[in-house]
Amino acid sequence: MEDIDAMFSDLLGEMDLLTQSLGQETVPPEALPPTNQEVNYSIGFTDLNESLHELEDNDLDALMADLVADLNATEEKLAAEIKGLKTPSPTTSDLPPPPKGLSLHPPSPHPLPASPASSTSSSVSTPASSAASSLPPPPPQNAKPTKEEIEAQMKADKIKLALEKLKEAKVKKLVVKVLMNDGSSKTLMVDERQNVREVLDNLFEKTHCDCNVDWSLCETNPELQLDRTFEDHENLVEPLSAWMRDSENQVLFQERGEKYEVFKNPQNFYLWKKDKRALKDIKDKDKEILIQENFCGTSIIVPDLEGVLHLKEDGKKSWKQRLFQLRASGIYYVPKGKTKSSRDLVCFLQFDNVNVYYGKDFKTKYKAPTDFCFVLKHPQIQKESQYIKYLCCDDARTMNLWVTGIRIAKYGVSLYENYKTAEKKAAVNSVWMNRSTPSSSNPSTPSPTIKAKTPNQANGHAPKPQPTAPDSMDFGNFPPPPSADILPPPPPDPAFPPPPPSLPAKSSSRPVAPQHKLPANFPPPPMAMDNLPPPPLPPPIDDSPEAPPDFLPPPPPAAGFGSLPPPPLSMNSLPPPPHFGGMDQSLPPPPPDPEFLPPPPPEPVFTGAGAPPPPPPPPPPPPAQAAAVPRAPVRPSGSVRKVPPAPPKRTTPSLQVGGGGGGGDFMSELMVAMQKKRGDH
Amino acid sequence: MAAWDLSVTVEDLGPDTPPVSLSVTSDLHVGGVILKLVEKTQIKRDWSDHALWWEQKQCWLLRTAWSLEKYGIHADARLHFMPQHKPLKLGLPNGITLRLHACYSSPVFQTVMHICRMLNIRHPEELSLLRPIEEKKKKKDKDSTEEIYDLTEVPLSSASRPCLYNGMPAHFADSPQMEAVYKMLSVTQPPPAPEVIAKQYRPASVVDKAHINGRWLDSSRCLMQQGIQENDRLWLRFKYFTFYDIEPKYDVVRLTQLYEQARWAILLEDIDCTEEEMMLFGALQYHISKVSQSEPQMLSSSAAMDDLESALQSLEVKMEGESSSASEMLENMTAPELNDYLKIFRPKRLTLKGYKQYWFKFQDTSISYFKSKEESIGEPIQQINLKGCEVAPDVNMAAQKFLIRLLIPAPEGMNEVYLRCENEQQYAQWMAGCRLASKGKSLADNSYQSEIQSIHSFLAMQKTNSSSHGNAPANDESINTHSLVSPRYHKKYKAKQLTPRILDAYQNVAQLSLTDAVMRFIQVWQALPDFGLSYIVVRFKGSRKDEVLGIAPNRLIRIDLGVGDVVKTWRYNNMKQWNVNWDIRQMAIEFEGNVNIAFSCVTADCKIVHEFIGGYIFMSTRSREKSDVLNEELFHKLTGGHEAL
Repeated sequence: MEDIDAMFSDLLGEMDLLTQSLGQETVPPEALPPTNQEVNYSIGFTDLNESLHELEDNDLDALMADLVADLNATEEKLAAEIKGLKTPSPTTSDLPPPPKGLSLHPPSPHPLPASPASSTSSSVSTPASSAASSLPPPPPQNAKPTKEEIEAQMKADKIKLALEKLKEAKVKKLVVKVLMNDGSSKTLMVDERQNVREVLDNLFEKTHCDCNVDWSLCETNPELQLDRTFEDHENLVEPLSAWMRDSENQVLFQERGEKYEVFKNPQNFYLWKKDKRALKDIKDKDKEILIQENFCGTSIIVPDLEGVLHLKEDGKKSWKQRLFQLRASGIYYVPKGKTKSSRDLVCFLQFDNVNVYYGKDFKTKYKAPTDFCFVLKHPQIQKESQYIKYLCCDDARTMNLWVTGIRIAKYGVSLYENYKTAEKKAAVNSVWMNRSTPSSSNPSTPSPTIKAKTPNQANGHAPKPQPTAPDSMDFGNFPPPPSADILPPPPPDPAFPPPPPSLPAKSSSRPVAPQHKLPANFPPPPMAMDNLPPPPLPPPIDDSPEAPPDFLPPPPPAAGFGSLPPPPLSMNSLPPPPHFGGMDQSLPPPPPDPEFLPPPPPEPVFTGAGAPPPPPPPPPPPPAQAAAVPRAPVRPSGSVRKVPPAPPKRTTPSLQVGGGGGGGDFMSELMVAMQKKRGDH
Repeated sequence: MAAWDLSVTVEDLGPDTPPVSLSVTSDLHVGGVILKLVEKTQIKRDWSDHALWWEQKQCWLLRTAWSLEKYGIHADARLHFMPQHKPLKLGLPNGITLRLHACYSSPVFQTVMHICRMLNIRHPEELSLLRPIEEKKKKKDKDSTEEIYDLTEVPLSSASRPCLYNGMPAHFADSPQMEAVYKMLSVTQPPPAPEVIAKQYRPASVVDKAHINGRWLDSSRCLMQQGIQENDRLWLRFKYFTFYDIEPKYDVVRLTQLYEQARWAILLEDIDCTEEEMMLFGALQYHISKVSQSEPQMLSSSAAMDDLESALQSLEVKMEGESSSASEMLENMTAPELNDYLKIFRPKRLTLKGYKQYWFKFQDTSISYFKSKEESIGEPIQQINLKGCEVAPDVNMAAQKFLIRLLIPAPEGMNEVYLRCENEQQYAQWMAGCRLASKGKSLADNSYQSEIQSIHSFLAMQKTNSSSHGNAPANDESINTHSLVSPRYHKKYKAKQLTPRILDAYQNVAQLSLTDAVMRFIQVWQALPDFGLSYIVVRFKGSRKDEVLGIAPNRLIRIDLGVGDVVKTWRYNNMKQWNVNWDIRQMAIEFEGNVNIAFSCVTADCKIVHEFIGGYIFMSTRSREKSDVLNEELFHKLTGGHEAL
């Protein structure tokens, strides 16, 4: 038993950790305790706090949902990856792996020592519990197979978890405030692995814009008066990490026609020498041929640009004219008195380590001959430096030619692939838009969507293979099979590796997400226990586990599993856990432990709640925190309201991210489209 | 019908044997003539490849059902009876000569197809034959020593034999000699000695480059018709620079020969490039030669097994990868690091201190340093993240100088930092670490060891360069860097100076596989602005001076010889029609928008120009669905001129 207890406490601890980390990254929803931020997760952003404070509640909720979904998704993925390993290594017990993984210092250190008894009760207190609540955490107790077996399994699991944690911990995440066209801003979390395309898709869903290919993320540097559009294949976190602490740089979400102009009118770049009249009348067929020639061959062809540009001399205010030439290998210039022959060209720079930026208002700032300037610099340079190259063109057309030409030389075929992806996205969207337009009323309002979703859920759920698959999987992996009889649902969840396929998320954002999320949080548990002991907050979790075995042996195993069915009933009826009962009723709103991380819990809960209900139609009540747990019935209303709006949207994006939406792009888009449509109705 | 005497020279009887005289009538068909002839010679052998060649008319009498009358043959006709397939010496793009049986009676287009099938080169329409540049016969005739690979043993029917799994024609598996031939075809040649490069003809101007294009054979006529005799020498080259559907798996020979042609084009400055590009080409050549020596050949005698083996291998790797992911992760937790005393110097700081020694620690992608080893547990004096930095070597073996120059990006600009190592070993390790870190990889990356290796081999190169002057490289590790660049740079730089520059470019390609490196070379070549241009000196109608017409895969350009600049560009997709006036040898082309140009050709027959343009248009009609079947008829229609129509 002790082992089990320890395990359990581990679990809870892990959850704790998780939630904490969540809290840090994002910002706890409403009551933001400064503490969270202090915990400092490595965030490259200084103005994070500000931006977070500026956020509206809604935003926070949404953000939170994002975070949770995101974390879960990644964890599940990891779990899935590691499943293969079942090596029971003795080391495990000692392993404080999670701590390392998480940047959080406090929780991690404490190993499992916590007394078994206390652990159980304490576990409840963890804020994380809220999230976990839906989960049938109880497995340990029920399971009474041979201890050795369990032990071995548990150890193996712990290793897995540790590894997961480590991996997960390495993933850097940023909370990014994106300025929209209308001056408003949106905040979202971006992790290291996400590229700009994914972030854009995410924003598309949040903004209901038309998704055309021109939508871009741009980076501005007010100090240097520069800006550039990120390329869709770039990872967003990396360039942002180069910003300085006090940076006033911003990320903008805008339509930038020049981004893919070269694919819309390739003649303007590849035949730029021809007279403009002829270029205007060029046939579509000829455009296509140009693209074929230059982007579809074995080698990408860079427009052969050549012309006199003004170069700002190092450290001086003067600008000097030079005859520059663009080649695939770099920018060259013709030295004085030499011919234009290739062998005489002098290399001005190569593109490996520089990005190209548009300069703004350089006429005033640097006394440039015109305002059509572009700049080449290492992305990490943020201030004036002799290593920045300033070039000035005679007109806007020339400037765009050069900047685009440089991008082609630097990024090659990625650029074209980005365009094709963006085009596809736009096409799918426009189809949807056309259909929906007639009926569309006010698509943006969140509430409608929610309602719409409930019905969806049913649909969405049915098709999903996820529930079944995961379950079976879990069992298999799961060490303590015994529990299955009694409480099949719970164990699986924690173990759950199977990340929800992208589909489910999209179709019925809530239904799926919840289940997975919870589990995800769960598994890691090892640590938190110690910290938590005192606060006996009985988040639903504890109750459910204990209770179920006794009172409700065979909770609804199959379908509903983790999410809702079993817990609620048992909970209510369950007197055993005195604390809990009391807690539940009184606690609903402030369930979490005051001491630890009061703020964070609520959010996760909500999100979780929102998500879980899906399968069971009656979700409304359970959704809130307790989804799985007893509380559901009690507190539903309040929490529910908040939840609904945010989760749906958020979940989608995050899931995609996590799932590494390789697979069902098209499907996911369809789902999104359907959701929106329903929302409109 | 009256009988008359027809005299036929039978080649197989020897040059001194007088012609055989046959009594024939005008309505006898060619087949009958041959039958009579064979009976008369009394030789029993396979005559199936033989045919009659009409010397005066320069044509083959291949339609055996046609009568002599129909062919217009009279008693004064001198006919030759000889095989249609004869040995031909073929200079390959890699500079090696091959002797094989080629068809002297079918259009060159078909002859090339047969040759390519024999050599296993797909898409033969991109290649053609040309007359070689006469080598100035120098005092010592090197021809005697030249190695000639012989393929004449390959039976003519071999084309019908199925290919092996990797696409290697079955006849190459027949004997060790044949395998050696295939190896020559499919493996890149080692870098040539600098003297060899220097000795070769190099075009000095666009006009020079134009002359080579006057040498292409006419695709619609046969070898005999173009005066090519048995055992003559021709070059096989890629003529149309649109390489369709390159698939490394099946195109081993094609890719290798393409690479060789590109390499020589670069080395002989047939195509211009900048110094930076030359260094990259040099680095790629170095890498390719190194890898192709060390890597087990893509096709050895067990080539047939390759597919299966590689499939198994990749499967193994996959499984390993899956099962070991966790242990790998654990390994990653204990990332390797370097610890040592090094000297550091910051040129930018206004200190007079010079190099100062610290205890350095290389971990992940950053370097930190401490006052001493003992204090390395505490906070470092400074930590430098190398991600995104520029790394340059500054090494002088003779002076035992091992310097790593780092240019480290920071918000304020780039910071220069020099690290000085004590010895070669230390330098190789730290340099390799810096290189990887600059690309965001840690020491745990599996390319670390090979990076160290390549640094060592480059150091070795510098050693031999400085010690042994001009001596042939002793071992394969040390290549004279002059072998990798055009002669222009032989004069400009000493090999020793070239080494670091090539090494610099080398860091970006050192991890490429052989195939990838070859592909990269070809891609960089294709990305050169002048790529794919074939020049012809022409005189435009109404113009008094010679100008140069550049023919590219997608356009024609007009180059003013005086300025050396492109004055005009016409794209094929705007072309409405083109005509050849065979009488006055003039090409006339009409483009959309009422643009008409006309020119006569100075350095090449207008048939060659016509064929170039038609050929490129043919190339653009190829599409994936039809890629297997070569539409020969269309090719001839587009390139043939009046004879073909």
